[in-house]
Amino acid sequence: MSELPIPNHASLPDDVLFSVRGLKKYFPIQAGWLKKHVGDVKAIDDVSLDIKKGETLGLVGESGSGKSTVARLMLRAYDLTDGQILFRRSNNEIVDLSKLTDREMRPLRAEMQMIFQDPYSSLNPRMTLLELVGEPMVIHGVGNAGEIKDRVAELLKVVGLRPEFINRYPHAFSGGQRQRIGIARALALNPSFIAADEAVSALDVSVAAQNINLLQDLQEQFGLTYLFITHDLGMVEHIADRVGVMYLGRLMEVAPTELLFSKPLHPYTEALMAAVPQPDPRGNRTRKRVPLKGEIANAANPPSGCSFHPRCPYAQAKCSAEVPALRTVAGGRQVRCHFAEELSLVGAVA
Amino acid sequence: MGNKTMTNQNMPPERLLELDDVHVHFPLREGLVKAVNGVSYHVNKGEVLGIVGESGSGKSITARAIMRLLPKRAAAPEGGITFRPRNGETYELSALGRNSRAMRQVRGQHIGMIFQEPMTALSPVHTIGAQIMRTVQLHMGLNRKAARERAIELLAKVQMPRPNQLVDAFPHQLSGGMRQRAMIALAISCNPSLLIADEPTTALDVTTEAQILELLKELQSEMGMAIIFITHNFGVVADIADRVSVMYLGKIVETATVDDIFYAAKHPYTQALLRSIPRLGVDQGRRLPTIPGMVPDPFSVPPGCAFNPRCTHAVAGICDTQVPPEKIFGSQMSRCHFADQFVAAEAAHV
Repeated sequence: MSELPIPNHASLPDDVLFSVRGLKKYFPIQAGWLKKHVGDVKAIDDVSLDIKKGETLGLVGESGSGKSTVARLMLRAYDLTDGQILFRRSNNEIVDLSKLTDREMRPLRAEMQMIFQDPYSSLNPRMTLLELVGEPMVIHGVGNAGEIKDRVAELLKVVGLRPEFINRYPHAFSGGQRQRIGIARALALNPSFIAADEAVSALDVSVAAQNINLLQDLQEQFGLTYLFITHDLGMVEHIADRVGVMYLGRLMEVAPTELLFSKPLHPYTEALMAAVPQPDPRGNRTRKRVPLKGEIANAANPPSGCSFHPRCPYAQAKCSAEVPALRTVAGGRQVRCHFAEELSLVGAVA
Repeated sequence: MGNKTMTNQNMPPERLLELDDVHVHFPLREGLVKAVNGVSYHVNKGEVLGIVGESGSGKSITARAIMRLLPKRAAAPEGGITFRPRNGETYELSALGRNSRAMRQVRGQHIGMIFQEPMTALSPVHTIGAQIMRTVQLHMGLNRKAARERAIELLAKVQMPRPNQLVDAFPHQLSGGMRQRAMIALAISCNPSLLIADEPTTALDVTTEAQILELLKELQSEMGMAIIFITHNFGVVADIADRVSVMYLGKIVETATVDDIFYAAKHPYTQALLRSIPRLGVDQGRRLPTIPGMVPDPFSVPPGCAFNPRCTHAVAGICDTQVPPEKIFGSQMSRCHFADQFVAAEAAHV
């Protein structure tokens, strides 16, 4: 693979698998007959993060915050506007994915897979489970028909589906079961990195728990690295080593899971945690829950200053005037808030 | 107008809806699926009954049986469904034809229903205003002008921003949370006595979910409406329900007040489900406790207690042969042979 362009300045600490630097994705807004470029939707604006080998990075935020877009950019499902995406291949070669063409990306796709959010639109209704789950192996030329069939049957068992279903079509399955077909498909090529986009959100409680355990077992066994995108903060606390909180295309806070949940530094993190209904009726009755007002702002017309300031209960004059930078504060944590040190925020965990 | 019958006039005065041994069977080529297999529950006026269960447990099908909106391939439901809304009439819903005048009246006027995905439940080619107007014109006999005013008033009531403008919006122009608000407005447009909410917040962000739950609680107390809240999310049920029924394979295995379900569950399935949810701040070790095995396929429901093959308390010779009866402990019901052996301290919640 020496023909791949390797930027000579590309270097990664030994324990880092994925490194995203200054990632931007702007969708142009065009107007008029001449399709004049009148502005940009800044779907992702200056996101930088490292994912260490074997770790699980959780990404949380409301829909429209750009968390799925980050994953899709990292896997080059979208073209990026600017930034660098460094990836360490299984042979330790470091590649800048942002420079690759689709053809050059193709062999790398075996190493990075994605589990999609919507099990209805991500599975071709005219393909059987054998074809769906076996497709990655066919494309990458792994195994003959018999081996593929055995592997598919094994994968189905692994994700909690009956191997007898191998010749059925997706319509015969519930949403939860379809999600598991997607997981089997992602696991087919034994990738080193999996971006799981709301992968267990559609699953039943007991099945979600089984799948989370399964994902964790696989992670241990094969040293898998996960980018775990979810809105379920309970799940992210359980599975993630570190968590990034996104809002309107920007990372608001990144911290080790335990610290984030015990002492959030960004008001948005606090608001998110307060919104989660806990399986604890007595606690819910005593807990102060002020629902966050309004909805996430329009990315085509973001608020001035800190994008969260119109919904922030602690906002001051400075917040609408100056864009806060993602800065490193005491304890090596990163936060994008002018007043992170002055606020005393309440986490979900005492 | 109402199809009055004398069978269940002895319903207690606080009772709104009573299901008595309801069965819904699907004769399929592969065999008979007993999707709902003897479900009895009741809803009192103005209370919130949470129905929790995994997919395939029959919780949605039961709701559809109440609304007589079952798929055509379902065999005619058996059992009694008695409904006595605000107007004091008693409807024997199980005896009404699915397209009868009385049933259509109940559906539009006395029972409102909201679904998980508003995009598929709302008409994509009519404005939300037109959809609400049609309902109130039909059931409340309003003229166009009054209906439009009612639509705007309803949208304001569900806290839709700019109701005067958004009354003319199409569903695709709204965000997920706003669509859900529009659907709630439609469902409550005729002041129903009962709202059936089938996973209404599952597709929403936690912050929007918190807003919608808050809205439903406000509307419920303001309008004195009862809610059947179907969900798989124990956090949501803990937040909104007064009583909870847990379903497994077409049967209710436990019904109790929300506190008893969470702190003193008397069915091993309820206990196991509660253990398998990751909770904020509760260190459950690396692995989530799961329920062994998977939900059996509906063509081969285990004999005896349907949960016995997955139950850690199962006793051979009893649980795998005899169907457990409903055991009553005050306001709590558990369908487990050994329900009396579970004391509060042993229950799932820590």
